[in-house]
Amino acid sequence: MTSYFAGIDIGSTMTKAVILNKGGIASIIGPTGPEQRRLANKVMEEALKKASLSFPQITYIVATGYGRINVPFSDKQFTEITCHAKGIVHLFPQARTIIDIGGQDVKGIKIDATGKIIDFVMNDKCAAGSGRFIEVIADTLEVPLDQVGERSLQSKNPSKISNICTIWAQQEVASSLSEGVAIADLLAGVHQSLADRIIRMVNRLRVEDSVIVTGGGAKNRGLIKALSEQLGHKVLVPEDPLITGALGAALMGKEIVEKARQNNTPLETKERILEEIEIL
Amino acid sequence: MIDKENNIFDTVKNYYNDYGFRAKDLKREGKKFIGYVCSFVPLEIITASGSLPFRVRGNIHEPITKGDTLLETIVCPYYRSVFDLSVKGEYDFLSGLVIPHGCDSMVRSFSAWSYGLPFSYFHFVNIPSVCDESSFEFFDAELDAFRKSLGKFTGKAITEEHLRQAIRAYNENRDKVRALYELRKADPPLISGTELTMTLTAGSSLPIEESNDLFDQVLTEVKGRGKSPLKKGPRIFIDGACLDNIELIKLVEELGGNVVADTICNGARDHFPKTDVGGDPIHALAHRYLDKINCPKTYRANRAGTFEGDIANRFGDVGTYAREFRVDGAILYVYKYCDPFGFEVPARKAYYQSLNLPLLHLEDIYSAGTISQLRTRVQAFLEMIGQ
Repeated sequence: MTSYFAGIDIGSTMTKAVILNKGGIASIIGPTGPEQRRLANKVMEEALKKASLSFPQITYIVATGYGRINVPFSDKQFTEITCHAKGIVHLFPQARTIIDIGGQDVKGIKIDATGKIIDFVMNDKCAAGSGRFIEVIADTLEVPLDQVGERSLQSKNPSKISNICTIWAQQEVASSLSEGVAIADLLAGVHQSLADRIIRMVNRLRVEDSVIVTGGGAKNRGLIKALSEQLGHKVLVPEDPLITGALGAALMGKEIVEKARQNNTPLETKERILEEIEIL
Repeated sequence: MIDKENNIFDTVKNYYNDYGFRAKDLKREGKKFIGYVCSFVPLEIITASGSLPFRVRGNIHEPITKGDTLLETIVCPYYRSVFDLSVKGEYDFLSGLVIPHGCDSMVRSFSAWSYGLPFSYFHFVNIPSVCDESSFEFFDAELDAFRKSLGKFTGKAITEEHLRQAIRAYNENRDKVRALYELRKADPPLISGTELTMTLTAGSSLPIEESNDLFDQVLTEVKGRGKSPLKKGPRIFIDGACLDNIELIKLVEELGGNVVADTICNGARDHFPKTDVGGDPIHALAHRYLDKINCPKTYRANRAGTFEGDIANRFGDVGTYAREFRVDGAILYVYKYCDPFGFEVPARKAYYQSLNLPLLHLEDIYSAGTISQLRTRVQAFLEMIGQ
């Protein structure tokens, strides 16, 4: 019988699901809303559809991310720190430093030569270094979020953004805009300020090659450029940076199952039932 | 009084949750309570005066409101919370308040306390910042002045015999705490960190005799368990200041760790050092409070001449506890704006590295609102240790 492992990552902004077997992966991504439980079901259902599988065929399910406790059908939960590390080390065995830029969190993770986590840092008390910062600024400048990175690359003279508070930075950007500063320059400045903030935190881990940036922030080429320049390290980005946490979660499940089979210990799993979802 | 019908931990929870209810009862019987903060107020002198010491606490579930109109927010959130509860009338049953020079916030805010609260007695204990010969000479005199000032307030001249009696009662209390900590050495420990810290916190709201009685009952209850009710898990050490709200320890234990030792003020820092008996009691108290309490507030000169030797001297207690309680990982928990601990973080981190002990450094704001953020960090740390 083929084994399938599912990982579901409920982040503050996006919910991601990955189904893994020996060969490939099927993934699905949707925005996280206030009803996390319902969304976990929906995303799981869609991932199953994409993988042409039925729910009972899934051997093990691991939930991760900030909403990990809101996945009623998961067999186990791990933090996104453990799961991102697992997913990234799977994709980049040479990884030593991981920077995950999420919607509300930024995390730095240090990995040793055997792929184990040896230290981590996380932003606390304030989400100013996270994806939310870019969202607010993109909104102020009326630039679609997915164009923010590209537009910033056109800048020849990045402006200086001195405020680290998202709300005040928004005001600063708005007033620079009214003074005629080009949007590309403002965006480049925003990325530099964000990179500066992220690096200040991650540097506590003593950054070593290879550096992998993941999470939604990794899709922003402007931010990657700023990070790479300021870090003085080459930065690698996974093909699909949004799903590395969910991938890691699925891999954690795979390890648990393999270990249980090896030791001949029983595997504790939940019943494979998705609650009925009302369609409004 | 303590209800012997119930499980003793129900009594502990009552004292912990309805903090101060016993003091209110005793006040109605005519007893005087003197509030204090920090590890540096000699409780023996308060007890010897015939009044009763009461440790004022903060509350992470209560937003800081009124206090912030009288105290600037440059003060650490723990101390602001304690002040906020006090100006909101939570501790109005107290007759007086004693504040030591435990950190700069305590010095600078002393006048705010004395203007903002309705007590009839206020006293500031000046603690030397260093531990030299002259410091002890000064501190002897300072404690003697405190003895006289408090004696004048209570109308009772505090004699050496009164002090000796109080010293005996507190040393007894510290022996009991040590015995409670011994029960943490088993794997899994016989007593959870939540139970233990809650018990010690409850004890700081009681007269010393009642605290001794409470600890005895907890000891009997826990020893009677035979087998630990806990599951094996990473053995966690908590390093930090006063953790008078149980949530962090509870969180670690909910996530599968066992808190087995600490340096916290309402833990080993306050309760392990004993006072020498036999000599001059004031001098013995001065020695206990100034030298035996290992708090970053006190500057200890680098006698080793090297950085490695210096951190080993300053934080050696951590290494001793880590070995004694077979610790797997440590959490250094520091309040934002805590100057004594804040300045020490890099050196403490280096010390943990020298012990090869995994460390999670948390900076927090003394608010229940950060629990879910802490949950991710603590869980990830436990996962990291368990790899």
